[in-house]
Amino acid sequence: MGDESYNFVFKVVLIGESGVGKSNLLSRFTKNEFNHDSRTTIGVEFSTRTVQLDTFTIKAQIWDTAGLERYRAITSAYYRGAVGAMLVYDITKHLTYESVERWLKELYDHADPHILVMLVGNKSDLETLRTVPTLEAKEFAEKKGLLFMETSALDSTNVEAAFQEVLTGSYYVALCFISLYTKRWTTACHVNLYYSSVCTFLPCTFYVMCVFMT
Amino acid sequence: MLLSEKAGTSTSHGKTNRCIIERIMAKIENGRQSADSRSIRTISSSHMDDESSLGSDSEMNGFTNDRHTDKYGFIGGAQQYSEESAQDVPPEVLRQREVKWLDMLSNWDKWMVKRHKKVRLRCQKGIPPSLRGRAWLYLSGGKVKREQNRGKFEELDSQAGDPKELDVIEKDLHRQFPFHEMFVSRGGHGQKDLFRVLKAYTLYRPEEGYCQAQAPIAAVLLMHMPAEDAFWGLVQICEKYLPGYYSAGLEAIQLDGEILYALTRRVSPITYRHLEKHKIEPILYMTEWFMCAFSRTLPWASVLRVWDMFLCDGVKIIFRVGLVLLKCMLGTREKLNACQGQYETMELLRAIEPRYMQEGFLVREVLDVPISERDVESEHHVQLKRWRKNRGELHWKSPPRMHGARAIMASEPPSRQDLRQNPTIIVESPLPAPQLQKREKKGKEEKKSIKKGSMKKTPPVTEIPNPYNLPGDPKLPLRDPLLPLRDPLLPLRDPLLPLRDPLPQLPLRDPQPTLRDSPAQKPLVNDTPLPNTLKDSHLPQQPALNDQPVFNDQSLLKESPLQMSRQSLSSTEADHQDTYL
Repeated sequence: MGDESYNFVFKVVLIGESGVGKSNLLSRFTKNEFNHDSRTTIGVEFSTRTVQLDTFTIKAQIWDTAGLERYRAITSAYYRGAVGAMLVYDITKHLTYESVERWLKELYDHADPHILVMLVGNKSDLETLRTVPTLEAKEFAEKKGLLFMETSALDSTNVEAAFQEVLTGSYYVALCFISLYTKRWTTACHVNLYYSSVCTFLPCTFYVMCVFMT
Repeated sequence: MLLSEKAGTSTSHGKTNRCIIERIMAKIENGRQSADSRSIRTISSSHMDDESSLGSDSEMNGFTNDRHTDKYGFIGGAQQYSEESAQDVPPEVLRQREVKWLDMLSNWDKWMVKRHKKVRLRCQKGIPPSLRGRAWLYLSGGKVKREQNRGKFEELDSQAGDPKELDVIEKDLHRQFPFHEMFVSRGGHGQKDLFRVLKAYTLYRPEEGYCQAQAPIAAVLLMHMPAEDAFWGLVQICEKYLPGYYSAGLEAIQLDGEILYALTRRVSPITYRHLEKHKIEPILYMTEWFMCAFSRTLPWASVLRVWDMFLCDGVKIIFRVGLVLLKCMLGTREKLNACQGQYETMELLRAIEPRYMQEGFLVREVLDVPISERDVESEHHVQLKRWRKNRGELHWKSPPRMHGARAIMASEPPSRQDLRQNPTIIVESPLPAPQLQKREKKGKEEKKSIKKGSMKKTPPVTEIPNPYNLPGDPKLPLRDPLLPLRDPLLPLRDPLLPLRDPLPQLPLRDPQPTLRDSPAQKPLVNDTPLPNTLKDSHLPQQPALNDQPVFNDQSLLKESPLQMSRQSLSSTEADHQDTYL
């Protein structure tokens, strides 16, 4: 399996229009690399990184897909088993923000309805070319029950924080699920309360991949 | 000169000067101005403009001005040529193959109809690099399409194009083969041509539009032929070889994924069971493989060999390569025990071991896979039925798939005129017409070495004097680099004198072959003098060759290639001597 032991494996998918920076977010988070001329994603790319949360070790599997419209026909396979999704747009291209609604619909059509979603405004280093105001996007995210952050894969701003938040959220969901499963109701309630303060949460039918290793 | 003068100054000053000079030179090379204010630049490269690839990420990634390209044009990256896995064909064999291919190309229709098996065999052995572009164009039927649609590409090229499509295309231009020198410069001629070809396709088939995987296909074609030819090659691949792959809905690729999955069951049941157990859908691993025809997966030498076979025999080659990779990586119990889950399996398929992708190994394995066109078609039938049952009718009815060059030719029979080669460089000569045809082909060979940007349609020239002649040197005529090199010990013949009368003329190859430096022939002239074995064993069926292709001041070659071609079409060839696979 791996040299390191881990307690959870969380699958997170990166979605969004072509060219917003999904592949570079992936490489920045998992390999601390950035490339202006990274290849167009065709099919699926993925990478992993292990993070610590509380006392648990979590292996994050980040999946990156092609953003072009017509590829949506084949992305349903990618969503399977994902606990988190990062819906990325480019703050300098308003069109990529406008298509967020469509992506959300796509997401809820194919993925688990309780998937944790974060709206990510990427390319924050290009402040001078901004066309999407931060406040507007933040309000939209709150309205839709999504997490929100602005990042820059180029200079690393908030990339770590964004992934950590998604993984932490997924972690609490997992805890909740496990608590319910093992009938530790009070634990479940506590976790649920914490989680609800961040976004909406409905227990049960959540598909989580967990591997317990001592 | 400027650099040496500034040698003593501080590094930053010197670097600025160097940068300025390089920028100017890059401008001259690329020859145009452009402003791309929307391109993203890192801070240190903000003073660079588009033409120069300085400050671009090739430099950021460690490739400096004196970058070294491998023989395919790659500066870096995973697909770069490596000495260990190289399988270079000896030059004498290459020369022979070139002659054979030239002959085939001059009589293409006859060869395709009567001796298609031989064509296929030669594609399997690998098309000689100097003729690859041309051969691909003929194999794919792009040549015929081009001749039958004269002026069409120009027309499409001059139109504006749908802005939405163009926006997506532009985003992709710098993301194709960024490690290849042709495509590394933003706004360079490689990216420009890529744009032209892709734009033209969206105008040619507006209902299809642009699909991102078309870019690598177009890029591979552009590495071997000019924009118009690459366009027609792309058309053929998108419509005949892989119809529906790039259409909206991507139904064809999903269907082929299911076909691949089903064929895996036949070829490697253990792999099939593993994929099934871990619910690894074909679309998760074969999308990039198939949509880009393995151009992004394999080392470059293997890509070219696969494409040689693919353009000859159709999609079954793609299926076979996929099956080989699956079988190699997941074909044994030990390997499967090492990957316990979906993720591990996919990681394995993403990082194929280099030894399985090595040119010789891969081609041999591909030829051994027991999957034929009929298997593909019958499985297609089965999967289509399943699809209709589970998902309803297909939204995008693709035209039927053509399984290779012969099928394409049969469906669209060309006229003799369509297949005629029309070289862009013509050298005038006093020799009668038949010889001229062969000589003119030389112009096309130059494309192989000269990268696309500098290869423009030049007006016919009357004489190309050797610019590297030293004052004391005898005037050596340009040789046709495709002809086998003369044996240096045999004297030159004057064509007007009878065969038995040797003249004491200088041998062609002098110790310092000045021809070697001529840029037009650089890749094709071998530096090492040929061993005497050339005249001994390699060309038994072409006795005319021993008369030597004759060189004098004005002419380049004799009718021997024509003689050879007539002979080779009818004779049984000693192809068994050419065992390089």
